[in-house]
Amino acid sequence: MTTNPSNIAMQNTSGAYLQVSGLIKHFGRDRAVDNVSFAIPRGHFLTLLGPSGCGKTTTLMSIAGLHRIDAGAISLGGMVYTAPAQGVFMPPEKRDIGMVFQSYAIWPHMTVAQNVAYPLEIRKIPRSEIDDRVAGVLRLVGLADMAGKLATNLSGGQQQRAALARAIVSHPRLLLFDEPLSNLDLKLREQMRVELKRIQHEVGITSVYVTHDQSEALVMSDDIVVMSKGRIEQKGGPREIYTQPANSYVSNFIGVVNLLKGRVVEANGAGSGRIEISQDGMCVQLPCQVSRGIAAGAEAMLSVRPENVQATRENGGAGCLEGEVMQSIFLGNCIDCRVRWGSFEWKILAHPRTRLRKGERVFLRLDPAHTLAVVP
Amino acid sequence: MSTHSVSEPVVTAPATGRWRGLLTQESIATIMVSVIVAAAVLLPLFALIVSSFQVIDPSGFGATWGLDNYRTLYTDRIIPKAFVNTLVISSGTTVLATTLGVSLAWINARTNCPGRDRLEAWNLTPFFLSPFVGAIAWHDLASPKIGLLNAWARDHLGVQSYLFNVDNIWGVIWVTAIFFTPLVYLFVIGSLRRMDPSLEDSARTTGAGLLRTTLTVTLPLVAPGILSGAIIVFVTSAGEFGVPFKLSAPYGWETLTTQIFSKAVGDDANYNLGATMSMALGAITVMLIWVQQRYIAPRSFTTVTGKGFRPNVLNLGRWRWLAFGYNIAFIMVAVVLPILCLFVVSLHPVWQGRIIWGDMSFHNYARTLVFWRPDHIAAATNGIYNSFILAFLGASLAMVLSLVVSHMIHRTKGFGARLLDVLCVVPIGFPGIVLAMGVVITYIRTPIYATLWILLLGYITRFFPYGQRNIASVMMAISEELDQSSRMAGASWFTTMRRITIPLLKPGIFAGWILLFVIFLRELSISIMLYTSGTETLSVGVYYLTNFESEPLTCALSMAQTATLIVCFLVFRRVAGREALTA
Repeated sequence: MTTNPSNIAMQNTSGAYLQVSGLIKHFGRDRAVDNVSFAIPRGHFLTLLGPSGCGKTTTLMSIAGLHRIDAGAISLGGMVYTAPAQGVFMPPEKRDIGMVFQSYAIWPHMTVAQNVAYPLEIRKIPRSEIDDRVAGVLRLVGLADMAGKLATNLSGGQQQRAALARAIVSHPRLLLFDEPLSNLDLKLREQMRVELKRIQHEVGITSVYVTHDQSEALVMSDDIVVMSKGRIEQKGGPREIYTQPANSYVSNFIGVVNLLKGRVVEANGAGSGRIEISQDGMCVQLPCQVSRGIAAGAEAMLSVRPENVQATRENGGAGCLEGEVMQSIFLGNCIDCRVRWGSFEWKILAHPRTRLRKGERVFLRLDPAHTLAVVP
Repeated sequence: MSTHSVSEPVVTAPATGRWRGLLTQESIATIMVSVIVAAAVLLPLFALIVSSFQVIDPSGFGATWGLDNYRTLYTDRIIPKAFVNTLVISSGTTVLATTLGVSLAWINARTNCPGRDRLEAWNLTPFFLSPFVGAIAWHDLASPKIGLLNAWARDHLGVQSYLFNVDNIWGVIWVTAIFFTPLVYLFVIGSLRRMDPSLEDSARTTGAGLLRTTLTVTLPLVAPGILSGAIIVFVTSAGEFGVPFKLSAPYGWETLTTQIFSKAVGDDANYNLGATMSMALGAITVMLIWVQQRYIAPRSFTTVTGKGFRPNVLNLGRWRWLAFGYNIAFIMVAVVLPILCLFVVSLHPVWQGRIIWGDMSFHNYARTLVFWRPDHIAAATNGIYNSFILAFLGASLAMVLSLVVSHMIHRTKGFGARLLDVLCVVPIGFPGIVLAMGVVITYIRTPIYATLWILLLGYITRFFPYGQRNIASVMMAISEELDQSSRMAGASWFTTMRRITIPLLKPGIFAGWILLFVIFLRELSISIMLYTSGTETLSVGVYYLTNFESEPLTCALSMAQTATLIVCFLVFRRVAGREALTA
């Protein structure tokens, strides 16, 4: 790829293909997207993750050109798509982007093959080549025998595949997904997750995916951008987002977590330290990992995943919390357990062989390597 | 990947300039249509306002600014009475049409009245016919001297003078009400049919009886529909020209519309006074329509949710035959009797209230329809020709306009969209004669005056919102993503319209087109103000015949118009389906 330096003053970070910087978009007085910036290397799969109304879809629509942004800039492979400050706006049809919509948006007055051929017809590609490419892409998504069917006769999952075929058939520069799996039932959703990822990997198109489903994001993405109220909370790989959440919002949104208010009493430069928790008159100090930017003496949130808490009958000494088992549900591969400590209820995932009875006194030991003090 | 183009297209940002990006196909079409709509709607309105404040001096040459025209509204000998008559007619019509419409809708939607499927089409037929022709038919049925029913009563019941008399404002109320009953019917039947039956069932399970459920659940849910229908009927009948012109004005009961007409074309023509009366009438109707559109219509959608419910049906037992008889009686007086009467009268050389079998012939049809015969009547044959041109062109142009306007209101959602939304409500509130008064004043000194174009302009301005609503109702049911995905596939705005939007909207576009075709084919109150010799329309032809020729000739042309409209109605039902009609 030959990256052409744009004449717009915008730093092209090395390796960045899609670049979104300082995006701001208002709806009326509401600021739907507030200073959002991120970049993706070529071929990567990035997920914008957040609850409804967090601005993720607006960001996606802005990349597509279906929304006009108020400030910021969007460029792809060195080509500036939108930069209101310079008066640049490229209409959506010129951007060469494929998009899969939440409702799939399969045109009901055309057959599956006609739907998929449409982007190629617009690009004035010869009929014979269109037929070949449509057949090829329908085979790729597993709809080869559905080509002649009217779109209205397809099931949800099949419409989904047709929409994907239509989005990738013209080999666009970028692929956008707007919550494409949210209308499918659970089983199909899990199957399509893997399928989507396989196809994206096979065609190798750089993709931006929007979802509110954190497990979808963890399974599919190379990079995740967690958003809330129009702002970015954290950017990073799935593992980083899960194990090192930047703040309590992210740790709470991604997966299940125990969150307790506390104060960092000790922080060495290497990232470890101690946090003090005061709860119902009890006061304990626990060794933990301290997120960057939290100094000793600062308010912080203690964040521990249920699988990093161990419940034992023996008192392990200092740093152990004594509580009472409130609930213990056998789930097969693990035990979902609730332990009351003062007025706080710990969520614990225990090994299936552990036997914990309701009402029993137990001691909780937190793994210091996975006990985090994060920004509240 | 290998198939991907090896070299990225080398594109730098487009030439700078803030405005380049704004000049897209979409924005150009949008701006053009906004300007056209704004000019078409606002110019006549502006002209009315300005000229209502201009007072002609006694010499008749100069004009000064002042409020004298408004003073005349209540000092004049006739106008205050006309005002009262209009109010009486509108109120009476509203009460009668609402009663008929609600009861018929309820019988058809919620009872086991026999033959409901067949009755519906008949109940809706008057919606497609001309009230003016209805007035002519009822005049021939029930005027004291020549009324068929009165003659029959004299012969067979021994009645001395007459049984019925429709040549007064009560006759106007009667005819207007039976023609506007379908309006209320349409507003109500949708809510009755689509009402979630569990709403009523849950009331019954709490122990409420049938009557109590109807009063506390069903009726409040339908109330916005009834109110909407009632307001529309009030406004439409206040602006109705043909019926009072035929039935009451000749016998001393003037209305605002007949007065405006006489100020525009009569011997005492005074455009400024006509404009002032138009302002008074228009102010009332626009205000009512505004209330209906903004506050009442939106509610009728929120209360009745969902789709495809099978509503509760009430078993009327033996009483169902009474309901059936009631519905048949309505169809008789609204459709069958008037059309039969038109046909019978149209076959006679002269009409004096008696059927004379030996005199019957189709001679009247020959004189009004066959334009190559030497004894044809030009006003009638011209009218047929012109009306078909106007209806075809007008419906087509109005639908193009409606398409772009709907797209802007429901897809673009910018500042212009809200403005257009308002502009689309204004013409619905303007009675045709009021708008036509404005059009006359605006364009009288331009070359389009006294051509078919001014009629076309008036028609489209007044009625395109009806087409727009037909499209909008389909557009709101179609996901915006269907359009967006075409843009993302690389198609321009125009290509998207041509290949995706318009094909998807086809049913709505066609239904709207036929509806406008029908409206234009029977249009009277705009035409009567704007026609000149040579640009008569079908209804103007009927007007000419009833004024200057004989009753049988009038009936012949009316019959031809009615037959055409019925054909349109049948086509409409076939293409658009049963539920497509939206009032």
